[in-house]
Amino acid sequence: MPHHHPAPDGTLLDETRRHLFARCGVGVGAMALGALLAGEGRGAGEGGDGLSGLPGLPGLPHFIPKAKRVIHLFMAGGPSQLDLFDHKPELSRRDGQPIPASFTDGKRFAFMNESHRTDLLGSKRSFRQCGESGMWIGDLLPHLGRIADRLCFVRSCSTDLFNHAPAKLFMNTGTGRFGHPSVGSWVTYGLGSESTDLPGFVVLQSGPRGPRGGAVLWGSGMLPSAYQGVPLRNRGEPILNLSSPEGVTSARQRGIVDAVGRLNRQRLAVTGDGEIATRIAAYEMAFRMQSSAPDLVDLRSESADTLALYGIADPLESTFARNCLLARRLVERGVRYVQLWHTNWDHHGGPSENLETHLPEVCGQVDRASAGLVLDLARRGLLDDTIVVWGGEFGRTPMGEKRESTGRNHHIDAFTMWFAGGGFKPGCVHGTTDDFGFSAVDGGVHVRDIHATLLHLLGIDHQRLAVRFQGLDERLTGVKPARVIGEILA
Amino acid sequence: MAGWLLALCLRSEPAVAESPSAGHRAPSYSRDVLPILAANCFACHGFDPHARQAGLRLDEPVAAAALLESGHAAIVPGNVAASGLVARIGSVDAGEVMPPPESGKRLSDSDKRLLADWIAAGAPYEPHWAFTAPIPAPPPEVAGIGHPIDRFLVAALADSGLEPAAPAPPETLLRRVSLDLTGLPPTAPELDGFLAAHGADPEKAWEETVDRLLASPHYGERQARLWLDQARYADSNGYSIDAPREIWRWRDWVVDAYNRDLPFDRFTIHQLAGDLLPNATDEERIATGFHRNTQINEEGGIDKEQFRIDAVFDRVATTGSVWLGLSIGCAQCHDHKFDPVSQVDYYRLFAFFNNQADAKLKVTDPRVDITRLTADRDAARAEVYAYVEARAESLTAWEAGLNDDAKKLLDAERSKALATPTADRSADQRRILFHAGLGANDQEFRRLNERYLDLQAKVSGGPTTLVLAELPTPRQTTRFIQGDFTRPAEDVAPGTPAILPALEVAGTPPNRLDLARWLVAAANPLTRRVLVNRAWQQFFGLGLVETDADFGLMGTPPSHPLLLDWLALEVERQGWSLKRLHRLIVTSRAYRQSSRVSPLQAEHDPRNRLFARQARLRLDAELVRDVALVASGLFSPGFGGPPVYPPIPAGATAVGQVKRDWPTSTGPNRHRRGLYTFLYRASPPPSLAVFDAPDGYQSCTRRGRSNTPLQALTLLNDLAFVECAEALAAVVASDGSAVAFRRCTGRNPDPEELAVLAPLDSRDAARVLLNLDETVTRE
Repeated sequence: MPHHHPAPDGTLLDETRRHLFARCGVGVGAMALGALLAGEGRGAGEGGDGLSGLPGLPGLPHFIPKAKRVIHLFMAGGPSQLDLFDHKPELSRRDGQPIPASFTDGKRFAFMNESHRTDLLGSKRSFRQCGESGMWIGDLLPHLGRIADRLCFVRSCSTDLFNHAPAKLFMNTGTGRFGHPSVGSWVTYGLGSESTDLPGFVVLQSGPRGPRGGAVLWGSGMLPSAYQGVPLRNRGEPILNLSSPEGVTSARQRGIVDAVGRLNRQRLAVTGDGEIATRIAAYEMAFRMQSSAPDLVDLRSESADTLALYGIADPLESTFARNCLLARRLVERGVRYVQLWHTNWDHHGGPSENLETHLPEVCGQVDRASAGLVLDLARRGLLDDTIVVWGGEFGRTPMGEKRESTGRNHHIDAFTMWFAGGGFKPGCVHGTTDDFGFSAVDGGVHVRDIHATLLHLLGIDHQRLAVRFQGLDERLTGVKPARVIGEILA
Repeated sequence: MAGWLLALCLRSEPAVAESPSAGHRAPSYSRDVLPILAANCFACHGFDPHARQAGLRLDEPVAAAALLESGHAAIVPGNVAASGLVARIGSVDAGEVMPPPESGKRLSDSDKRLLADWIAAGAPYEPHWAFTAPIPAPPPEVAGIGHPIDRFLVAALADSGLEPAAPAPPETLLRRVSLDLTGLPPTAPELDGFLAAHGADPEKAWEETVDRLLASPHYGERQARLWLDQARYADSNGYSIDAPREIWRWRDWVVDAYNRDLPFDRFTIHQLAGDLLPNATDEERIATGFHRNTQINEEGGIDKEQFRIDAVFDRVATTGSVWLGLSIGCAQCHDHKFDPVSQVDYYRLFAFFNNQADAKLKVTDPRVDITRLTADRDAARAEVYAYVEARAESLTAWEAGLNDDAKKLLDAERSKALATPTADRSADQRRILFHAGLGANDQEFRRLNERYLDLQAKVSGGPTTLVLAELPTPRQTTRFIQGDFTRPAEDVAPGTPAILPALEVAGTPPNRLDLARWLVAAANPLTRRVLVNRAWQQFFGLGLVETDADFGLMGTPPSHPLLLDWLALEVERQGWSLKRLHRLIVTSRAYRQSSRVSPLQAEHDPRNRLFARQARLRLDAELVRDVALVASGLFSPGFGGPPVYPPIPAGATAVGQVKRDWPTSTGPNRHRRGLYTFLYRASPPPSLAVFDAPDGYQSCTRRGRSNTPLQALTLLNDLAFVECAEALAAVVASDGSAVAFRRCTGRNPDPEELAVLAPLDSRDAARVLLNLDETVTRE
């Protein structure tokens, strides 16, 4: 179907506005406005201590949720599950032999060019069994190995698309086409955000380059743009235009926002247009963001112990580890959905992307920090109701590629992701793949199932979180079957 | 389909605001029944045979009344008790009830009652309104009202208890119509002139103003932007690499077409098939850039055919929503679930767009003075040659020190230069050798060399623009199973959807030109309606058909069907002139109403489906910028040409895979209209994106209007707006805050408003004014 830019059916916009009014306490009437100005607006049922954050939908959550928020560690490029999580001795034994045709007949792969080959490539990594679950984990992820019993591994994930940008979209929006809301937007749209001074859906990036696909990966599609991911930046201002113009003090800026508010209120009285009330509230939030966001990224209050837990050597340096710590600080401040993007996992075997040198490098960047995040959330009591997701847009082939050095192609039939906290079963190892790790032989899980499960833990029935757009009920899980993966829930 | 055209009923119902089933009229199929069936039943009991359950089809009368395997019929016209449908929707058994609980759909009691009433009345079907010809009904007679649009609207208000709103104040009117037609706010002299003329003769003043604005070259700029949205225009290739592209010449063509009021039928033909016109001119070929605004994937290792086909899919979907107002793209993978568009229909349309080469056309840019550019190039070349000449000895020394390994690293051109005896070398050979050696770290050389290369590229290259060109031998189109290009099925010939009037051409298979002509042919029931509806949406914020890109069964029915049809026929009577259409709309009283929401309206018609008032609309992203530029006096009114680079926050272009340069414009290009800002798809300009400017990834026929804290941060702190505030502060300082207020809002402030501004210094006052809701809103 065609995908139009966010211009949902009017009913959707109106409903959203109604909720904004109803739930932010910024109704059009003089009384509601009076409450707003006196700072007595009621927020999303969270109490009356000033303005609330972004409103969610009435009637949500659909049932009592296990989790309240999500931190998604997106390993952009497609980590090699066969060198990290899916231990295949048989693959190593048959290293260099052609893969039996029965595996590849009728399949298509990315990069069907001279580099494509059909010889099996055994992993050069050593694996050991970790924790009570006995999960096999490769030697490049020692820190994750140590906390294996806190994690829930799914080795049988599959997806539909094998090029980077469409596959990332698919993992994030449930479709490879543009114009659809990302998981973070859906969740924030459904549940709102508790944060009064930060956006409900925040995006952080690290690694040598941005993820392929750019801003559409955290776009809100046909949902209102208030629900799109707001990229927090590593350098300079964490949010664009967060600093007042040069020479303008906070008091002076406050004076501007006050005067704008006073004039806007006068106009509201003349026109009766509720949009003006929303704008007044937006200026208040903007002003609070100006003071709260810098505090968010100032890590001086974190102990040396905490910095060490994440492996942060220099708190000013922009790294995945620093972003993990920021993610914790964001969810502490009520942000609903945090997504971290880390590049580059695309190990084809080219000069700057091989399994010998570059895979260990990127593992070194994320291993300690990912484990540190889980441990830090746990010791602060946040892990119980915070979901951590770790994975890429697809996995990599059991066959090697014919390039300068060793690498693997994109693979969509089986790859590993792990989850932690928020109702996922700790120490769980789900799904088995065949001897080469080519396909799942039991416990197969599709991206749609993962989406359904995430929503389920957040108290959302994936069938019922829908918006009417262009005549269709748009859902994260689309129209094809999706199921909540009960086997991996605590 | 012809089989169900049996119960043709003329639609004469008045417009319905909020409750389609209100009142005690007999249920109408189109108005009352279809929306319920479409939303709840057609997914499994509709047009798509693959999705159909139990062999039951409810979208046409013969099948709906046929005996099913169960021995019952879903619908027995006139007999509620015998109708299986009524039993199933009323069942309390979870295994029986329809729609099934797991579908997440549920019928309300009033839905159920309505379906039963309709069956009791004989279950009369009607053809879907949008697929039948517009009805030529004259505007109703309404005492004291002359304008045809007002006659339709006021007649429809009769039952509602609402009255048309009072006219808006003249200041508001001038700002509204100036922004709607040209995208620019009125200047102080324009305001003064209009107020004086309005005092003398309001009607005459209005007509003269409308005509002045329609004749302004800024009219084309404003109207073109809305067309660019639909065309998914951007200045880069999209996907992950998102390299810059040149297609701004097409953008300028569109601006010019609106300004010269190219009739929309011809406009359509040029956009879709200008290259196929007999003896096509360059201008006609430039117009075909419309469908070159698709993305191009430059990632390594991709299957190029896959992305060529993706672009064709995009062209089919875009053509469907822009001209036909149909979500044709749904039929890419399967028969349409709701609309009578089969997958074969889809690939018949696909075939029209499957036959093009992606071509570039070299164009002349009237703004470039080629003589001067050549002279500049010659001067730069002489300078860099002289620089190298003066260092001939160093060059010789460098050459002497080269070992064989280092020589191997030189490219072919340089190896050849090295092999040429020193005395025989050209100046350019010396330059490239210098470049390979000493020049690499010589800042001054690099500066001179790059300047020369840049000018050389401009002289020899010149601007190009992307166009369509037809392949000499057509590609064979097939249906793709599940829309997967690796799974071709049977061959398909070009053609149009069976539900719509046939495309008839003599002899050869039809081509894009035939398709374009078919879209604007008198027999096509959709294109004119879609066109006038988008115009209505533009001037009222909401279409007569709210789902402007879905006139199918799942779309909302028109609020004023006879007005919609009258306008559709009128635009054709007026020779498809868009200026006349816009003039017609903005001269209505409806357009000139106040946008104030009265309590009565808030209660009875909160969404303004009856148009008994105007709408307060937050300005489109580009206009937010334009208004600030004009109000502050920084506005640089240049037309056309390559896109420009106004200041944006540092690092804003670093979000995509490839960090893009942003050579911030200086001089007049720094303060051009938002229309001319360079648009990268992967890293769109933040101050436009934050105000809902489309990103060019797919056709956008209607923008969202969000209202967020990030917008507040942009207006408060973004460098481009701070520059405007500085300039406006000078106005406050010299002329006072009342003058600056009027520049921003188009009206004089009242005493309470002035009192808020009074304690502020000029800079603060200017910042406050640029941040007002009213400044970024058209009332």
